[in-house]
This record gives sequence, structure tokens and C-alpha cells, in this order.
Amino acid sequence: MKRILLGFVAAAALVGAAAMAADATAPPLGLPPVPIPADNPQTPEKIALGKKLFEDKRFSSTGQVACATCHDAQKAFTDSPLTTSEGIKKGGKPLTGTRNAPTVVNAAYFVSQFWDGRSPSLEDQSQHPFVNPVEMGLKDHRPILKIVRSDPAYAKAFEQVFGKKGAAITMKEVEQAIAAFERTHVAGDSPFDRYYFKGDAKALTDQQKRGFDLFVNKGRCVSCHVVEQNTALFTDNRFHNIGVGINGIQNDVPALAGEFLKAKVTLAEVDVKILGDKRTSELGRFAISRDFEGLGAFKTSTLRNVAVTPPYMHDGSLKTLRDVVVHYNNGGVTKEGDPVNDFLSGGIRPLNLTEAEIDDLVAFMEALTSPQFASLPSGARTEVKP
Amino acid sequence: MNPIVPSRRDFLKGAAAAAAAGVVPMSVVKLAFADPALDFTFGYISDAHIQHISGTKFVRNWDRGLIRAVAETNLLNPKPDFVVFGGDLGQLGMKEELDHGAEIMSKLRHKTYYVMGEHDYYLDLGEYWSKLFGPQWHSFDHKGVHFIVLNSILTFDDWTFNRWPSAEQRMLEMAGLDNPNGSPFMVGEKQRAWLKADLDKVAKTTPVVVFSHSPLQKLYKGWNFWTDDADEVQALLRPFDKVNVIYGHVHQIQYNQVGNIAFNAVMATAWPWPYPQTYAHAEHAMPVLTVPMNRADPFHERDATGWQFIDVHTGRVALNYNLYNNTARTVAFNPASGRPEDKLFQDPAKRIPPQEHY
Amino acid sequence: MKRKIAVAAAAAAVVAVAFGITVRADEFTKKDQERWEKEYQSVVQKGRQLFTSGALGTNGVACAQCHPNGANTHPETYPKFQKQLGRVIALREMINWCLQQPLEGKPLALDAPDMIALESYILHERRGVKLEPGKH
Repeated sequence: MKRILLGFVAAAALVGAAAMAADATAPPLGLPPVPIPADNPQTPEKIALGKKLFEDKRFSSTGQVACATCHDAQKAFTDSPLTTSEGIKKGGKPLTGTRNAPTVVNAAYFVSQFWDGRSPSLEDQSQHPFVNPVEMGLKDHRPILKIVRSDPAYAKAFEQVFGKKGAAITMKEVEQAIAAFERTHVAGDSPFDRYYFKGDAKALTDQQKRGFDLFVNKGRCVSCHVVEQNTALFTDNRFHNIGVGINGIQNDVPALAGEFLKAKVTLAEVDVKILGDKRTSELGRFAISRDFEGLGAFKTSTLRNVAVTPPYMHDGSLKTLRDVVVHYNNGGVTKEGDPVNDFLSGGIRPLNLTEAEIDDLVAFMEALTSPQFASLPSGARTEVKP
Repeated sequence: MNPIVPSRRDFLKGAAAAAAAGVVPMSVVKLAFADPALDFTFGYISDAHIQHISGTKFVRNWDRGLIRAVAETNLLNPKPDFVVFGGDLGQLGMKEELDHGAEIMSKLRHKTYYVMGEHDYYLDLGEYWSKLFGPQWHSFDHKGVHFIVLNSILTFDDWTFNRWPSAEQRMLEMAGLDNPNGSPFMVGEKQRAWLKADLDKVAKTTPVVVFSHSPLQKLYKGWNFWTDDADEVQALLRPFDKVNVIYGHVHQIQYNQVGNIAFNAVMATAWPWPYPQTYAHAEHAMPVLTVPMNRADPFHERDATGWQFIDVHTGRVALNYNLYNNTARTVAFNPASGRPEDKLFQDPAKRIPPQEHY
Repeated sequence: MKRKIAVAAAAAAVVAVAFGITVRADEFTKKDQERWEKEYQSVVQKGRQLFTSGALGTNGVACAQCHPNGANTHPETYPKFQKQLGRVIALREMINWCLQQPLEGKPLALDAPDMIALESYILHERRGVKLEPGKH
């Protein structure tokens, strides 16, 4: 078992592996090569199989919910504008969890998956929603395996892609196919990319250029939403408490954290617990890392295509990008003047932005939308209603 | 041990895994050689440097550091026996700063002992501080260990009383770490006499723990990492079997063994300081044993700051440093080698680039 | 043409001799060096004063609080890739970052006298250390 020291080192190693692997497609403008694990190379057949699995509603207890239900290709692979995702129906109404569905687009660049990083890879992540009671509601993965082993179309595909059939097909192959499909969904080449990496001075409006200046300087956004010399992931792959959600449980943190530890939950149980109980969900990364740093902390999202994936934050509580900037401007509280939680990340503080500067930042973030998503409704300034 | 296994081990960043191995913040670290009957822990928060701007405004970053340390200390389970504040609660010794700091500290759900720092002292020579926190030096006993609190940031009378035209000026001059107009710290004759009398009543086999702001060693005079009468103070402590000195002021991880005395520095909650060897023109004595903490990342406002909880086992201390977004460290007395050692990084082969890359 | 130049040169020589000046390029005396060193040190002193003053930002924090004697400023490593500014920068841009972030103030113009003074002080404290541009 390889010991991975630092997520960044791991990503670099995987990129190195990718360089030697088959795929010679250039990454989109503004993005580095997609990290591809050595044991799961991309092939067109595998990607097609992954797409089929991703969209298959039979992998739910009601036969109505697939990965694509919450990660809809028509909505930049989210279920915007839902606040928190809706899974299987019980008593005629869909069950909901506690978290907003993140986009699959560019998820391949994350070092860990889920808002709290509880999954180390796209492969691993894909298995969990199937067996979560408020998502796809299966008791275990056996129904999935039954289908992929017996359905003729699947059987043929698995044999072609993995050389396996019948009982030899395991969840590992299912996960690998889904992950391979997800790795094809990367998107750059936004107006910002053309401005910053191609030197096209006309790609951004003057307002967006002012917004970029704020993004790097007064707004301090670039501290976590990383932009580098030749590429921009817009995430540092780390976890930060920025005061969303935790403010609601501030006084209860000691009790909640203590209870959670005492319950000695396993990782599989964590997945169920945090989607099942909002107050536990607000513990954030702590549920996984069990250290102080994780209290109320969530993974930095990429900002690519952020304008077309409202609402925002792990709980979908901020409806527009403007609301988001106001939250940061207030120094980590949604309503100005509210008390700030004790575990707030050190980098979050009041920004003293003017109204015009807030608008400039919002305009800049609209420039991060890739061409293929440009026609989707924007949640930049007004709430997108269902 | 952490119940989230085994998939966690597959991908956890080495830092977090090491943290799980080195420090479990929610419980007492039990080291193999401890006699459980004598185990206890206490928390240590130091160097908050609450800095007044105007009116009710204080430098936010220092405030947040102390607030966070207090909130996290309150989460320790089982609860530590008491908490020590290691000095420099305020930045310029102002009443507003001491009051604001005391207010934040009042949220601690533990008995707290306070150590004087120079940033608390030189405005009014500890007058307001004593009203808030009590005697500037004293001792107490707890579970068979003799604890001593010293005011080790005094200096020559001439500098204190005659040199400066105003108290404010005196405070400002002492506030600059690298100020050539400063003056070396000391415990002083009067306090050493008290210390001698106090120690005379203590059995030589009783473990002794000394809380001091200055290092009680002579490390680097340019930044007052220095106690001028360190030799005399150490001589008073020499007859005892087990002595531990815990000091603040330096805002960095340091540790050392001098004869029978183990020296351990604590972190600041406000900001980190560079090691003296990073100053190209310093002649200094860095405790040779010390494995440096990671170089600070200026973009992470809490990096290289922290607080600690200290385990006492059979009269020896183990400092568990809680470092934000970084591998937690434990510096513990190793009876095999007879000195404090970093449990993870003492071996040069185990060092990581941020520890050497200054 | 030749005659005009000869006349001009002769005239200049006459003027030079008349005022007792030797007009030779790049010839400086020990006195010049001492004077210029004093000029430089005055700017270093100004830099030190700014570095310790706490008046550069809006919250009273001084550079020297975190960087006693300019330690850990590492001017010899610039230009370098600065992680959170996301690009390769020069020292003065990092000074401006510090003015804006921990000191909560406004950046200086890159050629402002105060900026030159700060840079002079920082480099003076780091004199003699070998250059290592690009080192993280």
C-alpha cells in the first residue's frame, strides 16, 4: 500500500503517470493535464460504459434515481437550482440530504471528493450515493452487480473494457468506468482564460478586469481560489471554515463534536450520518479528520462555471454570487454584524468592499464560465428559481 | 486510536495520519513509560499580544488567534487540570488590551494561572496586571509536582526607572524585539532570593516545573531570547532530580536539556517569529536539539501559531503543540536519552522541507 | 568641419583649465564614495524607521513585529513564484502584499521613495547573502 505524503505530491505523480499514459489530448486552456491514475487509463469504450452506468436509474431502490439525477448534464452536472439534492421518493415526496450537489465538471482535479473530502478519488466516491438512504436508497451494491452481470449490453461492455464477465465483475470495475466518464468532463477556455493565459485584452470587460484585480488583491480570494502562472484550478484542494452553516450551531459545537467522537462512527457510517442530520453535517471536515482544524471546514470549490451552478456553499444557503461576496465582505457571516464563529479560518475577515467593488467581483466570476455552459441561466445576481 | 479505518489510511495526507499518531486532541496522550497514577495535563496558551488600535478596535488577527485557542482548549476531553497563560497578553501593556485579553480568556472553563510578559509589564510595571491576575511570582503544588511562576522579564533598575522620559516611551522601547535600545531580561536578585527560600522547602525528589516568559537561558541577545542571570537561576534548580522550564516569548518551537533541566518553549497565538539563524548578522546559540517548526506561510494567518497541552508523567513533561493546518508535534522527555525530543522529527532523516527551508 | 571641432575642443580645454576642473568620465574620488555611502545609509535609516513604525498600515502593526531585523523576508530569493499572488513577482510586490494584508493598509507605488527606503533597509539587513532567485 503506497503511502501518499501530500495530496499535491500525489497529484503531481499522477500527472506524471498521465504524461506517460496513452491520452495525448491537450487539456483545456487554463487547466493542467487531467490526473489519470495508472490503474485506470481512459479508453473510448470505458468512457461510454461509464456514461451508461452514470445515467442508469435502475441503481436505486425505486428505479427512479441515477447519478445523473443530481448531476444533470443539461445543468452543468448539477441539479441547480436545488438547494440540497433530492433522492428517492418516499410517500410521494423526494428525500433530501443536507448538502448541495457539486458539479462533476473539473472534479477530476480535486485531490479528494465530497464537500468534506471523505472520498480519496472519483472511483471511490461513486459507490457511496448508491447506498445512502436519502440518495439512491439501496441497502448494498448487490442489485447493481446483479444488473451489470446479467444485462446483455452491460455484460458485453464489461468484457470488452475489462476482460471480465459474470461474478468477476465487481464494484471496482463499475467505479472505474464511472470515474473514466467523469474525467472527460473538464472545462476551461473561459473568457478569463483567454484574457490571462492567451493575452486577449478584449476577452474581459473593464468591470471584469477590475473584478480580477480585487480577486487577487483587496478581496484576497486568490488565497484559496488558486490562480497560477500558467493554469488556474481556482481551488487549493484544502478545507476552510468560512462561517457558513457552523454559525447556526456555534454554541453546540462542543456537544456535537463530543457526541460524534463518542459514537465512534466508521467512514461508511459517516456518509449516512452527515447527510441524515443537518447539525452533524455542519461539523464539516471534522467528521473525517477528527481534528480542530476541520471544525466547520469545507473543501474550497472550484470557481470555474460558478455562475451557472447556483445556489452556493455546501448547504446551498447562498442563492446568488452577490450573496456570496457579501458573506465574505462581512468577514464570514451572512448577516452583517452577526457574531463570527470561534473556529473561523484565519484568512477570513471583513474586506471593506464598496457596492461597486462587490459588483465588479461578481462580474469577474461570470467570466469563468466555459463556452459550452454559456447559455445556462446565471445565478450571479438574481436567484434562479426552479 | 481513530475508529475511521481502514480506507482512511489509504488516502489521508501523511500530515493528518501523523497527527493521529502523535496527537489525539480530544484525549490525554499516554506515553509508554508513564506511571498512570501520576498523569495529568494542563493547557498552555501564550503570547496573545492583544493590540489596541482605537476605541473598541483591536488588531483582528491577534484577537482571532486567542479566541480560537480558547475555544479549542475548551474542547479538550478529558479536561486539563488547569491552564497557564504564558505572558504577553497585551502588546503595549494598556488597560484596554489587558481587559480585552482577560475577557477572551474568561471564556476558558478552567482555572488559569498567568505569567508576566514584558509587553504586559513595562507600561505600569505590572500594577494593573496584578489587579487582574494576582502575584507576579509565586508557587503552588499540584498532584505531587511543585510549580513555580516567575516574572523573568525584569531588567536593570537604571533602564526601568531612569532611562526614559515617560512610561509610554519605556513600553515602546521594550516592545521592539530588535530594538537596540532594549535591555536584557532577568529574574533579578530579589526574586532569586525568594526562589531560593521557596525551593529550600521542596524535597529534591519532587518534580519541579517553572513557568517563565524569558527562556532562563542565554540564546540570542539581539532579540532578548535571553535571561541575564540564567546561570544563577539554573544553579538554584540544579539540586533537583527533575526540573522542567516552560517559557514563552520566542513564538517558536525550541527545546533543550541543560544538566537536569529540560527547557521547552511554547507557541504564540498571535504571530510566529523567525529563528535567530535566519538573521544573517546574528551571533546566537540555538538550542542544538531543537528541530525547527515549519517555516510560516504568510498567506495562512494562523500558520506557525498555536497553543499546547502538556502532559506530566512521573515528573517529566510532554508538550503537545496544536499547530493550525499543520502536523501536530509532540516534544516529550525521553528517559532513554535523558532529554526532550520531537517524537516525529528528531531523526534528521525524517525532517520535511518546511523545517529546513528558511 | 575639422577646424570647428578643434576650435570647440580648444575652447573647452581653456574653460576647464580656467576653472581647475578635470572633466573625465567615470572618475570618482574617495570623497565621492563616502558621500554617496552616506546618502545610501540615510535611505536605509528611513527604511528602518518605516519598517518599525506601525504607521504604514491602518492597524498599528509594524513590519518589524513579525520580521525582527528583517529576518525571514528573504529578499535574495526574489523574483520568485509567490503562491497566493499566483505568479512570479519581485520583492516590492511582496512588500505591497504585506502592506495590504497583515497591515491592512494601501499599497505603495513601486517607485515611491518609501518603497525604495523599505527595500534598501531589507536588503541592507540581508547583505552578504548569496542570490537565489526563484527559491520558494
